[in-house]
Amino acid sequence: MDYVILSMVMLAIGVYGLLTKRHLVKLFISIELIATAATLNFVMLGMNGLGVSQAYLILAFSTDTAVSAVILALLVIVSKKYGTSDISKIVPSIETEKTEESNEAGK
Amino acid sequence: MIVEIVSAGLVVSACLAIFFDEAIYSVAALAGTLMLTALLFALNGAYYAGIFQFAVGIGTLSILFLSGEMLSEKPLTKTKLSSSVAVGVLGAVLSLPAIFFTIYTPTPPTNFVSFGDALWNFDAVDVVLQGLVILTVAVGISIVLYQRKKNNVPKLKEAT
Repeated sequence: MDYVILSMVMLAIGVYGLLTKRHLVKLFISIELIATAATLNFVMLGMNGLGVSQAYLILAFSTDTAVSAVILALLVIVSKKYGTSDISKIVPSIETEKTEESNEAGK
Repeated sequence: MIVEIVSAGLVVSACLAIFFDEAIYSVAALAGTLMLTALLFALNGAYYAGIFQFAVGIGTLSILFLSGEMLSEKPLTKTKLSSSVAVGVLGAVLSLPAIFFTIYTPTPPTNFVSFGDALWNFDAVDVVLQGLVILTVAVGISIVLYQRKKNNVPKLKEAT
């Protein structure tokens, strides 16, 4: 059983989801999968000095949770503002807003 | 044998989390991934890591269930059972290399440190936290200075 390969497979699945999916919740889930892959690799490679790796893991978890909270807050704000959670619809409306703003600034 | 089954389940649930069209099903599959990761840690003797993973996973999932329901519109097409099974099989196939192959990694000399020693005697977390605090202060100061500079430029222009 090789945990490095396992975590690489998990990382690949997360990156695939990040590149192909358009739904905001799916993107968040992909980021969570990448974080889980990193944690798995970290803990399993640090099995020799077991305590140290687990002690640093607390820090990794707290950082991961803080990042997740910020991302979720941003997702809620964006989906409320644009009325959709599909990123392929959000990006064009942001570009339209920018061009409108630049036109107003030009006037 | 149990570890291999748990690893295969981990990859399968990760694949399903990405594949499902409905956000709630995706979050349920992610729940499986996080819980199986915690189980894998515990099976390998990293009990504290397993407990932390479990606790953090429960918190993340409870928020994700709520926000997933709130943010997602109903998909036009429902996920077919046959395609879900196919993705499950794909996940099982993807987990095979981890079970049957190994990458050569040089084993460092065994230097066993207990969890309590690492936390309290060697101050493992404290050192990194201090670094993070210093980094945050540095970033905060640079942002404040940038904002001040940005706000002062028009005033100076007006004065001249």
